[in-house]
Amino acid sequence: MARHPKERPARQGTMTRREVLKRSAAASLALPSAAALLEACAKPGTTTTSSGAHASGPGVGRYWPAGSPYPLARQDTPVTWKLWREPIKSGLAPEKGATLQIYNWADYIWTKVVKQFCAAYNCSYQITTFNNMDEGLAKMRTGQLQFDVFFPTPDVLGKLVTGKLLQPLNHSYIPHLVSDVWETYQSPFYDQGWHYTVPYAVYTTGIGYRRDLIPDEQIRGMSNPYEILWDTKYKGKIGIYDDYREALSMGLLKNGITDLNTGNPKYISKAQQTLVSLINAVNVRTSINGAYLGIPKGTFDIHQAWSGDMVAAWQYTPTQNMKTWQTLGYWFPSNRQGAVFNDTITIPANAQNPVLAHHFLDWMMTYKNAMLNFTWNGYQPPQRKADPATLTTTNSAYGEPYVFPWMPDAVVFEKDFHVGYFEEELTPQVDQLWHNAWQAFNSA
Amino acid sequence: MPDGPDSQPRRRLRVLPRRRPRDEASGAWYPRWYWPGFALPGTLWMLALFLLPFYVVISIAFGTVDPVFQSPLPVYEPWWWTSRYLREEWGFATGEFRAVEVRTIVYVVLATAICLVIAYAVAYYVARFGGKRKGLFLALLIAPFFISYLMRMLSWVELLQPNGYVNSVLTFLHITPHPINWLAGVPFTVVMGLVYGYIPYMILPLYGFLDRIDQSQLEAGRDLGASPLRTFIRVTLPLSKPAILASLVIVTLPMFGDYYTNNLLSGSPKTTMFGNLLDNAMEATGQGPEAAVLVLFLIVFLMIPMLYYMRQTAKAQRDQ
Repeated sequence: MARHPKERPARQGTMTRREVLKRSAAASLALPSAAALLEACAKPGTTTTSSGAHASGPGVGRYWPAGSPYPLARQDTPVTWKLWREPIKSGLAPEKGATLQIYNWADYIWTKVVKQFCAAYNCSYQITTFNNMDEGLAKMRTGQLQFDVFFPTPDVLGKLVTGKLLQPLNHSYIPHLVSDVWETYQSPFYDQGWHYTVPYAVYTTGIGYRRDLIPDEQIRGMSNPYEILWDTKYKGKIGIYDDYREALSMGLLKNGITDLNTGNPKYISKAQQTLVSLINAVNVRTSINGAYLGIPKGTFDIHQAWSGDMVAAWQYTPTQNMKTWQTLGYWFPSNRQGAVFNDTITIPANAQNPVLAHHFLDWMMTYKNAMLNFTWNGYQPPQRKADPATLTTTNSAYGEPYVFPWMPDAVVFEKDFHVGYFEEELTPQVDQLWHNAWQAFNSA
Repeated sequence: MPDGPDSQPRRRLRVLPRRRPRDEASGAWYPRWYWPGFALPGTLWMLALFLLPFYVVISIAFGTVDPVFQSPLPVYEPWWWTSRYLREEWGFATGEFRAVEVRTIVYVVLATAICLVIAYAVAYYVARFGGKRKGLFLALLIAPFFISYLMRMLSWVELLQPNGYVNSVLTFLHITPHPINWLAGVPFTVVMGLVYGYIPYMILPLYGFLDRIDQSQLEAGRDLGASPLRTFIRVTLPLSKPAILASLVIVTLPMFGDYYTNNLLSGSPKTTMFGNLLDNAMEATGQGPEAAVLVLFLIVFLMIPMLYYMRQTAKAQRDQ
């Protein structure tokens, strides 16, 4: 059974009440401490941060909003997370006969790639899945489940490092990150010096559509292609993601607002009103699988889409032939100024097989393995050798191009992570504004 | 002066030892805790699986969130409770959420009414006219429980697709000239989904009760000159009122919290129900206390039909 949050190990700058009580009791034997007792009576959830919290905080970054226990990473204000403990030593042999515990999103890694790793390292594997990041974090926090690798999004990295749930990486075990992966991820803005993360997959958020109903020229010829979602011609067959950040970000981008982490109530309200107008115009629906399942099946003609969803959507067409695959299209701004994101792989602090886990990270950074995984899940790895220009012409293990040539917008470029807009962690106050806007949209 | 009744010396009341209750059937004496003891497992069950979790929900609603992880941090000591989230959500409940609340009530009332009409007819038929096939009918009534609710709804999603069988039949029979997009946020689809999902829960209790109605009472009604319809209205229906109320409670309460029917069959904000708001809050980072407050609102609201049911049940017992 999970322990009560207040009983969990103390975090940076905080102390659990039980711990305080224990310490107070011990101290009272020698020297009664009124301060400790007072703190023991403190209101749950309150933290005691000293004036030097920033100096002793879990990381270094220029954007540290008031009330935040750690700096927030932005593309223009990167964060370097401190090493709260030493990484494992170099040159250790991987644990033999171990079971590699993988904690990942559902259907997000090809077991063939994992099996090949296990064959090479003489181990077995166990994949446990989570449905959303909250669920993932909740299980990680209990400390009861001991995973060797975990796939978080960069926007929860601050929580994971501050909570001491991740262990620093020993780079000597992961040489392929340096040799094979994009320069951008040698030191990403959310984890300068890649102390805790390696990149897993990169993707953009654009619009998926049926090419047999909407010619490519039509959507690409529009002055503001986001407006196709408001086209009443497709009423009842238009969808957006059931995800408050993605949906509202689309509302912002449609209005030309490019700060996808804005805390400006006016902008958030505008995005909300934009989404509400979508209900009235086309009776928009929200779904999380509408892009890769709904478009191939004809449930949706147009759906907000992650590039990876559309790359993999051909696997879900009712009939498997080139003609049906050609009905799938994806649009992303040609100047690449749209929503971009990536996922990461990390090693939890309590991993039982940390050396094996390091080798697994390296395995996934290796060109051959990363591309094999891409074949199956559709989410592109940031590999140097996978020239985005050739992804539409090179065949994958399935015998088809990694990305169909009529979907060039679904290819992710390294420059996207310099000109695109990243959805990053918000302060609780700003996050509340976003949530309120989303609830207002849903109850409109 | 003669001693009056008031002036008599007071007798000292002797406190008799408390007698153990005597079992009327066997005449045996049992310790006082004996019969209440049988309620102990149920009481422990309720404490462990209802009251304690309910207190956790209250502690979350009046608690706070973890400053780092933004996960709900229940506060078990009432003196530390904060009404911040309660006030915030009350503002929403009396403002922006009003349309959703009204919609939820309308959907549930409609779905329950349709359920009642269909379920009563089915239960009545099986109870009165099932004959030798009662067992078969019962098996058919229980059959939906063998398949998970989610799977049944997903099968409807396939059937209701624009190119699904429902549209194929409708267009083939020229009932509609072109396929209807049933899944595009159509309130009718959501209400019928609720009916389909919950109707078995109404048929079974109704059948159980109707099957036990004493036939002689119906025959008495007929002997006194009442028509079959009048006998049904004046005898069967009043007799089955407790079952109707019970089945209404069984079906209505979960319908108010239902979110997946709407998620699967619509997904449109136009058909959002209260359960969807709750689900949204539950799945969102840092919104745990808000979700708990919404749960409390729902519970308070559902207490109204529940109390009515309890009152009616108590009244019926008194009348017997």
